[in-house]
Amino acid sequence: MTNEQITSSAVLLKYDGNIATLTMNRPDARNAMSVEILDAMHDAVDTVRGSDASVLVITGSGRAFCAGMDLKAVLIELSGDPEMGERLLTRLAELTLKIRSLPQVTVASVNGAAIGGGCGLTCVCDITISHADAKLGFPEVDLGICPAVIAPWVVKKLGAGVARKAMLMGGVMSGKEGHDIGLVDQLAPTRDALAPLTGDVAHRLAEGGPKALSATKNLLNQLDGSLDESLVVRGAKLSAQVLATPEAQAALAARMKR
Amino acid sequence: MIESYTQSGVCVIDLARPDKRNAMLPDMLDQLHEAIASSHDALAVAILGQGKTFCAGFDLKACAADPGGETMRALLTGLSRCVGALRDHPAPVVLGVHGAAVAGGCALLGGADVVIANRSAKLGYPVVRIGVSPAVSSPYMLAAMRDGVVRTRLLDTELIDGSHALGLGMVHELCEEPSEVRHRTIEIAESLASKPGNGCKATKQWLNTISSVTDERADAGLNASIGLTGNDEERARLAALWGSS
Repeated sequence: MTNEQITSSAVLLKYDGNIATLTMNRPDARNAMSVEILDAMHDAVDTVRGSDASVLVITGSGRAFCAGMDLKAVLIELSGDPEMGERLLTRLAELTLKIRSLPQVTVASVNGAAIGGGCGLTCVCDITISHADAKLGFPEVDLGICPAVIAPWVVKKLGAGVARKAMLMGGVMSGKEGHDIGLVDQLAPTRDALAPLTGDVAHRLAEGGPKALSATKNLLNQLDGSLDESLVVRGAKLSAQVLATPEAQAALAARMKR
Repeated sequence: MIESYTQSGVCVIDLARPDKRNAMLPDMLDQLHEAIASSHDALAVAILGQGKTFCAGFDLKACAADPGGETMRALLTGLSRCVGALRDHPAPVVLGVHGAAVAGGCALLGGADVVIANRSAKLGYPVVRIGVSPAVSSPYMLAAMRDGVVRTRLLDTELIDGSHALGLGMVHELCEEPSEVRHRTIEIAESLASKPGNGCKATKQWLNTISSVTDERADAGLNASIGLTGNDEERARLAALWGSS
């Protein structure tokens, strides 16, 4: 039975048996992380935590999964608010910690571009599924900014050596390339094949005992230091410091005008 | 034995002992450390080797000629200092392996942020064969790669090719031919040097914080390797290799 529950227009939350699906729903903005979408995701994740679901799928509506931070919000010239960048980054840091500590197994179903913070969001999830033509990556350094807020999750996902290359060289990679380096765990050959593959994986996960799944995930979180909040919070502050520099603001302004 | 120049914000540092396959001597590692320390104004660093191969490791002939083990100790200490200096360098470091990176030559990869190699390049740490422990490399490898990969690579004397190394995460990008490695390494370094603002340097510094090789761990690795130097096993194996005592 499918039960649709709209938490807010920015995020859709749907239950199908014990599988919850959270869909970022600002397709016109490529689901970029605005205050609105981050607040809605916090609420939705809180709701899932208290539900009977044992699996949470996170995906995006439209062509993109998530284009990363909302550039309009973090460009001081446009927002007029020099504190907005740090608020958004702190909110993102808190969201990633909240998702990681969920008792539910989390699956990122990357339907399209997963860029910067959006790609970091996939690394927080336990399993990432995408398709060969999706675009993923960490182009922050190309804009003079620093992906510190999500770096702890990327390092855990990829290992530090591969994470260094991915985050220092910037740019984006295809879903196929992401699969080759371990950023994507399961790869659908085409975009159309992503939803059926996600469904198969989610249903297989949901067959497991919820307590066994949750205990296993919790142990993995303890073993890899996921529950240490301090690095992610410090990372958010460092990202905010670099974001506020004149060089970064100039590079972002130039990108917005393109 | 070391040559360097800076162009377009990139400091290119070359191992320059090509007639000896860039085999390392203590003085050469001192020069390498000096070149790394002198390049802190650079926006990126490229590490390369001249001649047919990137680096064959320590000059074992020099080690065999010094049965007391002083040369080996100086090489291990110098290598550890150089790898640490690359890792602590404020700018990103790109290292290009053409032909081969063996033993101490392969250990230099531990200090690099991005590693390029040609597909058929030979990489590995076959030093237990001569009674030397590669423990000096272990803190840097464990900070970058999976535990199982590190154990296998340090304990097994097999050399692997560039394709295999790419799959293990030791290498991040392949060139088809050895002759392409220099150009591609410098091209990537220039691309890193041209990133706007402070994002790249801040990101490297933060990654060092997250996946740190502490001085304590680096020293433990070095001391484990140094502790074996000059012992009977190493002396006999080095002498057998060079036909002298």
